[in-house]
Amino acid sequence: MNIEDSYRNPFSDYNANVMDTKKILDYWCSPFAFFKTAPVSEEDIYRHNMPIVFMGGRGTGKTMFLKYFSYETQRDKALRETDGKTPGAIMSYLKSRGGIGFYLRFDGPVLRSFEGKGVSPEKWDAIFTQYFELQVCKSYIEVIADLVNRKQLSQKDIDDNFVACIARRLGGQDRHPKQIKDILDMVEDALEEITEFRAKIGFSEAEFVPKKAFASQDLSFGVVEIARKTIKEFGNDLNFVILLDEYENYLERQQVIVNTLLKFVRQGMTFRIGMRLQGFHTIATISRNEFIMEGRDYSKYVFEDILVKDREYRKFLWNVAKKRLENIPIFKEKNYLDISSFLGKEEHLEEEAAKLVKGEESKLKYFDLPEYSSRLRSKISDNLVDDTRKLIAKPDNPLLELLNVLWLVRGNEAQEIKKAMDEYLSGRVSSSLAKKYKRDYVDKYKLSLMFLLASVYHRRKMYYSFNTYCFLSSGIIGNFIELCRRSFQYAYFENRDALLNDGKISNEIQDRAARDLADTQLEMTKRIRDYGHNIYLFAKNLGNLFAEYHKDLLIRYPETNQFTIDASASGDEELRGILRSAIEWSIIQEKPTLQQRTPGAPRTNIYTLNRVFSPTFDLTYRTRGGHSEEFNTSDLKALMTQDGIKSQLGSKKKAKKEGFQPEIGLK
Amino acid sequence: MKLLSCSPTNVARDYDYFLVACGSDYRAYQVLRKSKDYRISIKKALTFDFQQRHDDLDPESLQAYQSCESLGIDTEQVPCSIVDPSACVKMLGSFDPELVNAKNVAIDISCFTKPYFFCILKYLKEKTTISSVTVFYTEPLSYVFAKGLYYSYHSTFGPLSVMEIPGFPGNDTRTTKKVLVVLLGFDRELSLFISEEVAPDEIVIINGFPAYAPKFKDISLINNEKLISSAGPSSIRYARASNPFETFNLLEQLYNQEPFAFFNVAPIGTKPMALGACLFALFYPTVRIVYPLPEKYAHVTTKECWNSWSYEVPLRIVMKNENALGKS
Repeated sequence: MNIEDSYRNPFSDYNANVMDTKKILDYWCSPFAFFKTAPVSEEDIYRHNMPIVFMGGRGTGKTMFLKYFSYETQRDKALRETDGKTPGAIMSYLKSRGGIGFYLRFDGPVLRSFEGKGVSPEKWDAIFTQYFELQVCKSYIEVIADLVNRKQLSQKDIDDNFVACIARRLGGQDRHPKQIKDILDMVEDALEEITEFRAKIGFSEAEFVPKKAFASQDLSFGVVEIARKTIKEFGNDLNFVILLDEYENYLERQQVIVNTLLKFVRQGMTFRIGMRLQGFHTIATISRNEFIMEGRDYSKYVFEDILVKDREYRKFLWNVAKKRLENIPIFKEKNYLDISSFLGKEEHLEEEAAKLVKGEESKLKYFDLPEYSSRLRSKISDNLVDDTRKLIAKPDNPLLELLNVLWLVRGNEAQEIKKAMDEYLSGRVSSSLAKKYKRDYVDKYKLSLMFLLASVYHRRKMYYSFNTYCFLSSGIIGNFIELCRRSFQYAYFENRDALLNDGKISNEIQDRAARDLADTQLEMTKRIRDYGHNIYLFAKNLGNLFAEYHKDLLIRYPETNQFTIDASASGDEELRGILRSAIEWSIIQEKPTLQQRTPGAPRTNIYTLNRVFSPTFDLTYRTRGGHSEEFNTSDLKALMTQDGIKSQLGSKKKAKKEGFQPEIGLK
Repeated sequence: MKLLSCSPTNVARDYDYFLVACGSDYRAYQVLRKSKDYRISIKKALTFDFQQRHDDLDPESLQAYQSCESLGIDTEQVPCSIVDPSACVKMLGSFDPELVNAKNVAIDISCFTKPYFFCILKYLKEKTTISSVTVFYTEPLSYVFAKGLYYSYHSTFGPLSVMEIPGFPGNDTRTTKKVLVVLLGFDRELSLFISEEVAPDEIVIINGFPAYAPKFKDISLINNEKLISSAGPSSIRYARASNPFETFNLLEQLYNQEPFAFFNVAPIGTKPMALGACLFALFYPTVRIVYPLPEKYAHVTTKECWNSWSYEVPLRIVMKNENALGKS
């Protein structure tokens, strides 16, 4: 086969749920190797006794993370590292790690089937407990059976000791199980009782009468105790680690049942739980007066917090991409393994600006823009307008030219501006004004000027480059992978030669991929299970609101894309619910630490609109902090329930006459 | 499978019960409207009245919705909620105790939501002794595309919740892999939502082809691009959009190829294809049916009527490898 024919999109495997162990090992990029700020070590995953909750938005890599630590992946890793030739390699590898991971994921449709249909909640609790205990037990038994099959455990010891004890626990001595597979059969039969009940209860009255009922902990804890006592190869220092994924899908009452297990974990077994942000629907346990508390009963780590604040995030993404590119023969052969080479390292704003205004340089008269002309009229007499224009003109760099206009509007003299610009361009910045000019341009306004320029010319700023994609992904690895997937897909159809032979994807294609993803994700928010329509309106209104800041000719608050909520809003249950769901789905993101909305203001939670939506609204792809919008209850209600909310930024009616303090609010 | 026409070749049929969903689409009562032409006689029609459907209808649509009352057929309304088919079928027995003794039953699925007709057919299989049901279906003349052919069709609105259809949980015990078969529809987000919830090891896509119109096959593919790209082009199969038995046969063939797989079927394509999936799950109870339950269904998704079909659906064939849970 021609090597080009073997091409497939390196980013088409976007869902860790459907990856087998080989793919997980192929694509695994250890976060522990990159993130210096990671509060948990790889060793802790198996050895730390306290349950750990890993929270993160959709696509942050929770499933990949948990699956990597599962028995199946670690087993295959051990086999890969020893070529499968060393006897006892798996068992000794597991012991060196300190534990065995049992990965469990129940899909939403199953979990949601344990309610309603005329059955009381208390009965469903008992049935779900039975189901959960049996599923955990099944995963233990499957792993032990696999270890027996692979001759890592002595079949005789297991049959003689473990099987008999478990049979008693399962209440199936009368079946006289002899081998571990007989135990598995018993567990499967017990699970079938539940399935049969679920099949009947949907259209007829049925009673759930299991042969043996199990209470919480009977099997999830009980089997561990038996295994540690009867399987000598396990010894006392091999922990059973239950890796529970998508905990947010559990119904509230189901979480109560599992929370109780979390609270009472015993020596030798613990939990690692993956869930969305805000994924705890309750912190209650079965005991009325007992709750689970972070720090006391479990530790919590938020993926985005680690990812976003750590400077190594970009390096991590680069490696994520490299692992995928390595799996494509044509790229491997040509050594096209650097994603930043496909996408370009970062943007070239000056080039982009020059391209954007090309052919229309003379059409635009900045001085005629209403917000500038009203301010300049009092400062420059009519006979000096042309001279001023000439002084601050910079046709080959529209961004500098726009900055010059802004400086002029802000009260600087044209000669001063020209001097500062010339100093900056010559690379010999010595005067304080030139230093400020450089700061304004390079550090403060360059990107804002680009957005403003695009707005003035009724064009759109493009989203391209590895750097931009890293920012747009907002700490969500899945977003980065999807941005790349779309780029590679479009490039394969539209410019295959550049993709496969040069290892390049054009800026235009990248931009379209970013826009399509943003639009699609915004559209998808409507279908979110809780408050989908409100979340859609909220995201759309926030986007439009922030877009006004980006079009502000005076750039009063550059790149604003964050907001705070005043205390009054926390009293409204529905608004809280919408906000919670928006965070759970990472439509908005909460900054990890409390911050000041404005200098001197009290510290508070700050939220940003997920930057993956930026291309839809022509917003900045980064969060630079500074100003935040503040919403009260009625603002929030309007943003979440009404279409077409607009900002009053720069509204003539309300704007103060002097200074550049805008009146911002909703109308 | 028979194309209904007014020709005298149609064999006359008498039905004790004719189950039909109330709707404002013209095709909702097309078979009832033409029952005499089709030489169908009906003793009693049970009309399923969905509260959510008539709540915010304009007067014209409401008149269409209620028009079955003026067809001169003995009708009785079954009040029901679109989101809870389980509660509805559970009360069917007490609502009309004679239904379980019926000899000939027909159901028009044109305007039933899929979870509803799945539950009703399961109920008829489990609670009555009839050996088969006549299923009627009227094709739309066209679908409503709000803003152009591509990307704009929506049969559902608002938040989605992927559910097992009550009575169809399947059975995943003793299986080694999870397969999701998606009967492809036009709605852009549905298939992705389902596949993310179910998280299968393998995805098979069945597209309706030949479709009612040549473009429809491609609209389905375009709207499900992400799913197809993740499943791979070799995962696409085809079954005639109007023939439930082709879907049944294809599903059975796939099922037999994967004897240790937990089969999940998402019937988001045409109603006849969904009927094929229903029939398949009735005969293979280890198969789970998953479906995205929306907050709201679109009031009008189709225009006028095209062909009406009748399908004689067997309920009593014992499959060679069926035990209590249908597992071989």
